[in-house]
Amino acid sequence: MRQAFSDTLVALAKADPNVLLLTGDHGYALFDAFRKECPAQYINAGIAEQNMVGMAAGLARAGFRPFVYGLSAFIPVRVIEQIKLDIAHDNLPVVLCGDGAGFVYSHLGTSHQSTEDIACTRAIPQLRIYSPADRFELVRCMTQSYECAQPVYLRMGKADLGDVHAGALSGSIEELIQLRVGSDTRVALLATGSMAKAAVDAHEQFFPDASVWSVPSIKPLDNASILELASRFNAFIVLEEHSTIGGLGSAVTELCSEFHPVRTLRIGVNDRFSHKCGTYQYLRVEHGLDLENIRKKISSFVGLPASVKTA
Amino acid sequence: MQTSIHSSDRFKPSVLRKTVLDMAYAGSTVHIGCAFSIIEILAVLYRNHLRYPDNTPDSAGRDYLVLSKGHGVMAQYACMYERGWLTDTQVQNYFADGSELKGLSDSRIPGLEVTSGSLGHGFSVGVGLALAAKLRFTDQKTYAIVGDGEINEGPIWEGALFAAHHELDNFMVIVDENGFQAMGATKDVMSLGSIESKFESFGFEAVTIDGHDEAALDGAIAALWASPSKRPKALIAKTVKGKGVPFMENNNMWHYTRLNDKTHAEAVAAVAQGA
Repeated sequence: MRQAFSDTLVALAKADPNVLLLTGDHGYALFDAFRKECPAQYINAGIAEQNMVGMAAGLARAGFRPFVYGLSAFIPVRVIEQIKLDIAHDNLPVVLCGDGAGFVYSHLGTSHQSTEDIACTRAIPQLRIYSPADRFELVRCMTQSYECAQPVYLRMGKADLGDVHAGALSGSIEELIQLRVGSDTRVALLATGSMAKAAVDAHEQFFPDASVWSVPSIKPLDNASILELASRFNAFIVLEEHSTIGGLGSAVTELCSEFHPVRTLRIGVNDRFSHKCGTYQYLRVEHGLDLENIRKKISSFVGLPASVKTA
Repeated sequence: MQTSIHSSDRFKPSVLRKTVLDMAYAGSTVHIGCAFSIIEILAVLYRNHLRYPDNTPDSAGRDYLVLSKGHGVMAQYACMYERGWLTDTQVQNYFADGSELKGLSDSRIPGLEVTSGSLGHGFSVGVGLALAAKLRFTDQKTYAIVGDGEINEGPIWEGALFAAHHELDNFMVIVDENGFQAMGATKDVMSLGSIESKFESFGFEAVTIDGHDEAALDGAIAALWASPSKRPKALIAKTVKGKGVPFMENNNMWHYTRLNDKTHAEAVAAVAQGA
């Protein structure tokens, strides 16, 4: 995924000299290619995120197309007011790239983990929120961010979990993308970011009759598709590496509660910090987001027996 | 003191202050003292320095005036009104339901470059505008007006480091050093020491002058731009909060006090007398 990020950024920058990359002194090896290919479009703004985002607004006002890179714990959360006031208020075409969302920096603790960033950004008008599941969604998120010329928060999570798509995507990233087809109408799995792979794994190992969708765009949400699914399925399972408060699960339930209520299990982080340290996989288990915990939660919620490998 | 050489019928401070008083009275609003301390600064900028190539507020290639201390916006409205960018109705109906002009700078209004009010934002946007001009090799200049209280905010100093490191000699911060912030004197709230020294140490070319002396302002701005140094510029303007109305001067209650019939009439008379 990081390679795809670098490649796409270089391609966009070579095609349009107005594309600039601003980094808050992050992305050491990630930007080697960019610095080599487009040195005049690379700006290390120093360890000064608030100023960096404000400057990006100024650059965008003057016609540039800034991509602002940082860890998702800092971009967007540390600079939420700059995003609201300097960028979103005036609908400026700035792409805020937050890397390492969720528990990626598992050993570093709360300062570098980011499980509240969607909640913090969702209520900001005119700001789009993209949350790609793999490198193919990432590339399409980036090109669509450039094409739409509006403010975007691009949430990048764990990079090496494997693809959920077979190849490049061409459709709008603001629509649901079905990952797995199942015949069981009791439950539909909706997942975003890193948890799309977990949903696919859950389908393949435990719930082969369950259908799975990826939700690469948290905002705008594909309301029409979700409501159509709500009319066909008895229950939703929403999976995200983010707090169950204010993320995709909240967005889906808010929508459905108004137009077509459907029982929904929100699988995410249960309103607490990580108190312990360990590998990424350890923290996924610790927060109940590993495959076995997911299986148990789904089974319990919809009454499916454990390990139903129906034909 | 104003001198006849630099005084002009255009952007006369007394006229600008009268417009501010009328707006504040019409809108029953506050921040009068904060607007009055930057009247001469804005008058000189609009009269002699800001370039709008096709005379419209959104002219391509214009210089940028970023009012980072957005609560002084009535002073800028007064200048925009004189330029013909605001109508009589907009001034007379300030703060009326459904009107556009807000109590803080809002970039949706042509002529205002930033949405400020939350302090410490406009400076960074201004640094971005100055960087854009450098990247495009244009001769556009960017001015960011900040309050002395405002420079309590950390992003100001982040932006100062960046501007100096990248030799943005097309960027000028103008500090309205009126000695007060919302809750009291700056020396009592958060001592600033020498603002000039601070910006100097951050790599700016800095100078301190009387912010109500139009000739001095004009000369200092011109001299800073004429300097061969690649450093960004800092103009520290020593000002008086509430300048132009004796009962408002250095009286911090005019940060938050509204005009009534009596104080409006007295203030208008005082401003006319000072013309």
